[in-house]
Amino acid sequence: MKVVTGVVGNDIHVVANRLIDLSLRARGYEVYNLGVNTHLEEFFDAVVETGAEVLMISSLNGEAEGWGREVRLLKSRYKTLDDVVLMIGGNLVVGSGDPEEIVARYKNYGFDLVCHQVDLNTGLDMLQELVDQRFPA
Amino acid sequence: MSGADNRLLIDVGSTYFKLCTPDSIEQHFRDFNRDILEDLRNKCGDTLERFGKDEVYICSSANGGLSTLIIGVTQSFSLKYATNIAFNAGINIIDTILFQNIEEYSIPSDLIDVVIIVGGVDSHSGLFSPALYDYVGQLRYSNAVFVGSAQDAQQVSRNIDHLVVLPNVIDDRLHIVEEHLKDYLTNLYQQDIEGKEDIKNLYQITSNQIFSTPYIVNRALPHIESRVSVANPFILLDIGGATTDIHYSKDLVDENIVTENEYDRLVFKRLGVYKSRQSLVLAAQANEFVYELLMHLGATENIYNEDSDKATRILMQLAIFLVLYKMSPYGEAYISLKLLAINSIVLTGGITKVLTVEEIQTIIAFFYRKILSSDHNPVAVLDSNYDIWTLGTKV
Repeated sequence: MKVVTGVVGNDIHVVANRLIDLSLRARGYEVYNLGVNTHLEEFFDAVVETGAEVLMISSLNGEAEGWGREVRLLKSRYKTLDDVVLMIGGNLVVGSGDPEEIVARYKNYGFDLVCHQVDLNTGLDMLQELVDQRFPA
Repeated sequence: MSGADNRLLIDVGSTYFKLCTPDSIEQHFRDFNRDILEDLRNKCGDTLERFGKDEVYICSSANGGLSTLIIGVTQSFSLKYATNIAFNAGINIIDTILFQNIEEYSIPSDLIDVVIIVGGVDSHSGLFSPALYDYVGQLRYSNAVFVGSAQDAQQVSRNIDHLVVLPNVIDDRLHIVEEHLKDYLTNLYQQDIEGKEDIKNLYQITSNQIFSTPYIVNRALPHIESRVSVANPFILLDIGGATTDIHYSKDLVDENIVTENEYDRLVFKRLGVYKSRQSLVLAAQANEFVYELLMHLGATENIYNEDSDKATRILMQLAIFLVLYKMSPYGEAYISLKLLAINSIVLTGGITKVLTVEEIQTIIAFFYRKILSSDHNPVAVLDSNYDIWTLGTKV
């Protein structure tokens, strides 16, 4: 299964990005890593070019809040992305907030899976569960 | 006469031709009622006679190069990569189509020299549908090339006549692979130049290959400091009679294109001061800042209708402003440059014979102040003696 991943916006947290890349590969995913400082449109375009089933966006500096609002609108411009699993994880707000409220907000932005300050392996377990449901063997 | 320094260099542009000998440089306005060779012989017959066929080196940007239509599946990868490669291969006229919306595009009536179809990594397939074949079937084109997913190549080949299939321009890390398409387009461009009757005749005076001028200029850039005082990063503007070429240092883009080129090329078609004068005027009239710029230069919009030295100077100044504007985030080019990081703006071509450094510097300062709200002021460097072109010919 193919996954497109990277860090959204003007965010250079490369170590987390590398760990996600390695962890996904260890679990058998075919990874297309766009790296840090990636614009939202590039994520969606990479999914089209690769035929990826999962788009996993990460953010550490909280910039995802601004970009996340654009997700639904941008996705609606593509004709082939309806079945793609949209996941976001990392530190998704500047400062602190109620985790439940943050998850609900990002789901409203169009994400299927939201992992705010969740351990990487736990997040990947959640992804696997969703993938198994959406793409049964 | 023999040896590397005893060369006659000739550049045939859309408006002028230039000749460079070891001891002089001359420039002549072209007579469009005459064949290029006849015109050359008439104006510089004495110079031509001093050199043997193996000592004459010619490049040409006349006739505008190839027209290209690129059909790709995304803006950020397939269309951007193919456009980048095409510009660097010397192609001027590039139109793009986003495949998912192909049914919304009209069919161009002009003959297209080359149609490029691109999309997908090699591990992906099924990116194209019959809508592609319907569209391409209605086009008038001379060449078609597929540089997308290897898995789709056979299917697309079966449905498009005379399709050339080359290796994918996108590798399995989503990086650009430019060599195959670039070589293909460069060779097509070369054949196009050589096939044009006017240019073909020039082989009567040279036994060397005739190259495209953008290729020659790009080849000179890594060595530019040996001839011109520039501070990196820089851009080079070649504002010609028909089109404007911009060669820029890769340090000035934050793009996802990773290549070994130090410099890329971008073209604004129909932006020139002679053949494309009318479209330059239209672009100026459509730009909301030009009215203020004209006031700054002590002119009014009546200047567009004048045929005088002053009008030519003002139009050249407007061309510089419009080019900078088009490369800014407001310009809607396929890339935008980090203009605040530029240290030098090098100008080459006929413009250097008309404008002074001060006249150019005032436009640069106006642009940075009004458009980018900055006091940054890159230094204008004039390549008045065509050093860059001669350097590129000799590299």
